[in-house]
Amino acid sequence: MILAEKLTSMAYWSHFVSIALFALGLLGFLTRRNALIVLMSLELMLNAVNLLLVQIAMRTGTSEGIVLVVFVITVAAAEVAVGLGIILNLYRMKKTVDLGSFRNLSG
Amino acid sequence: MKEAVFTFFSLFTLLTAAGVVLSRNVIYSAFNLVLCFFGLATLYLLWGATFISMVQILIYAGAIVVLFVFVVMLLNFEKPNERKTRLPIILLSSAGVWTFALILLRVLSKSVGEIPVLETTARASVRTVSKLLFSQYLWPFEVLTVFLLALIVGIFVLARPEGEEVK
Amino acid sequence: MTVLDFIIAGLKAIVILVAVIQVVPVMIYVERKVAALIQDRPGPNRVGPFGLLQPVADALKFLLKEDPIPLYTHRLLYTLAPFLSLIPACLVIAALPIADKAILFGKEITIQISDLDVSLIYVLAIGSLGVYGILFGGWASNNKYSLIGALRSASQMVSYELPLGLAAVGAVMVFGTFSLREMVLQQEGTLLGVLPNWGIFYQPIGFLIFLVASFAETNRLPFDLPESEAELVAGFHTEYGSMKFATFFMAEYMNLATMSGLMTVIYFGGWHLPWVTDAQLLELLGSQNLLCLIQVGTYIFKVSVFMFLYVLIRWTLPRFRFDQLLTLSWGSLIPIGLLNIVVSAILMYVLGGK
Repeated sequence: MILAEKLTSMAYWSHFVSIALFALGLLGFLTRRNALIVLMSLELMLNAVNLLLVQIAMRTGTSEGIVLVVFVITVAAAEVAVGLGIILNLYRMKKTVDLGSFRNLSG
Repeated sequence: MKEAVFTFFSLFTLLTAAGVVLSRNVIYSAFNLVLCFFGLATLYLLWGATFISMVQILIYAGAIVVLFVFVVMLLNFEKPNERKTRLPIILLSSAGVWTFALILLRVLSKSVGEIPVLETTARASVRTVSKLLFSQYLWPFEVLTVFLLALIVGIFVLARPEGEEVK
Repeated sequence: MTVLDFIIAGLKAIVILVAVIQVVPVMIYVERKVAALIQDRPGPNRVGPFGLLQPVADALKFLLKEDPIPLYTHRLLYTLAPFLSLIPACLVIAALPIADKAILFGKEITIQISDLDVSLIYVLAIGSLGVYGILFGGWASNNKYSLIGALRSASQMVSYELPLGLAAVGAVMVFGTFSLREMVLQQEGTLLGVLPNWGIFYQPIGFLIFLVASFAETNRLPFDLPESEAELVAGFHTEYGSMKFATFFMAEYMNLATMSGLMTVIYFGGWHLPWVTDAQLLELLGSQNLLCLIQVGTYIFKVSVFMFLYVLIRWTLPRFRFDQLLTLSWGSLIPIGLLNIVVSAILMYVLGGK
């Protein structure tokens, strides 16, 4: 492929988007202290993987990637439901969702 | 035309994702998350995966983020009570994320980036996906249903107010 | 896609959208007149003959009133919320097949904005986004009643999406497609020689679940808990006035129209007249465009029957209590919906095909 053609093609840039989305999610996961935003960052990371899976499935013309995405979406929904349940309980305990204030188990 | 739409929605998705991570106010994060999922749904559409694109909106934007917003409103944050993360942690994590992203880029460019794009019109339709789901992937699918059942029970236990016995 | 196709698609979208928006003034008039009829009073009768110009007067009033933003609200979300509820209501229309096709300027034009192969999921997905308008509107108003209304609406909408989806799954199994247009095309002719070949005769229980859930999804009485005026003043739109309030109002009626349209399409044969196939009609009329007009008329008639039903039920049934509302969904509708799917699957397997 010629470079100019490469640089304007969707196929060339697609996995950059996926990686950037994953990196953003990871950054949020590592640096934010609000439990809700940490959970949202997790969702971003899962979605980055989904984007890559859809892309591979559509490039190769197979459907396995799509099936995997269906599984990932189900698990993500389940994860959010449990996560929010836990966050609500944490809020009941300490009246805050700042992750730094939950240190009961650290020595 | 397609490339322009793709570029626009890629940037849109990434900007809103940055909005999720960087917002001070949780409600803005949730709002950005909805927009980000819309961007992703559009990217799926551009790749030709209409079914996944609609499921993305139905489940992520229609249910998951509604739960997020619901919790944010239930807890009713008057002002963000999150303490600032210390600078060394931010720097260290950013360095880690950069390294990780570069490794990913290196690996994926070699593998995914070099898959030739099929020009066929036979895209993964609902029919082929569901056939796969109920034949080859039937076992994982059944495991998933058991997992969901366990999840429902788990949530009931979690959501029960403290001290109240299960009837 | 040539430029001409592009222009046709754009024109189609504009014409259909503008046509569907006309539901709002008509419904304002019908709702007030029917309410008056049931409560034994004359209703609007001052503006124009039989009060027919009342909707115009209402619209003028909304437009000319001052549009205040109360203090201590969240300005951005407060302003955005009405549109967040109106836009999904308008977007859903894109997937509804209104009639088969017309031939204009030598081109076949389907009377449907976009024929997506997963249009049923599209309708459910976009329909589920209407809750954001209510949620953000209630939260941004900074008012206890509004917040309670918004929270109620969120749990109500999420709970009732499930029975709605389950009922739709039954229909998808029977028709073997997610495309609304193909569903309508399959509902032509007669079933067993006597009944019209409509979805309701294949999925009667599914239809009942869908009907009940659609009342909850559109926040209509008996399920209008988000705005129940006796306990929450006006729920999520307490703090809204003027055109912003009217936008919420419009969204509600548009939702009614799309839900009625969806039920017509899935369970009542869409544009088909009962007992007559399109080919017979075409032979009788001799013109595709005339047939198309009749189809549009049939569709509009069926939709208006449903809209009238909504209005009648609004003024006859009392409001549910909130725990009753959630018990109805999780305790009865969802189990019945699941059973419906299992029974339909077994029946389809035993009877072979449909």
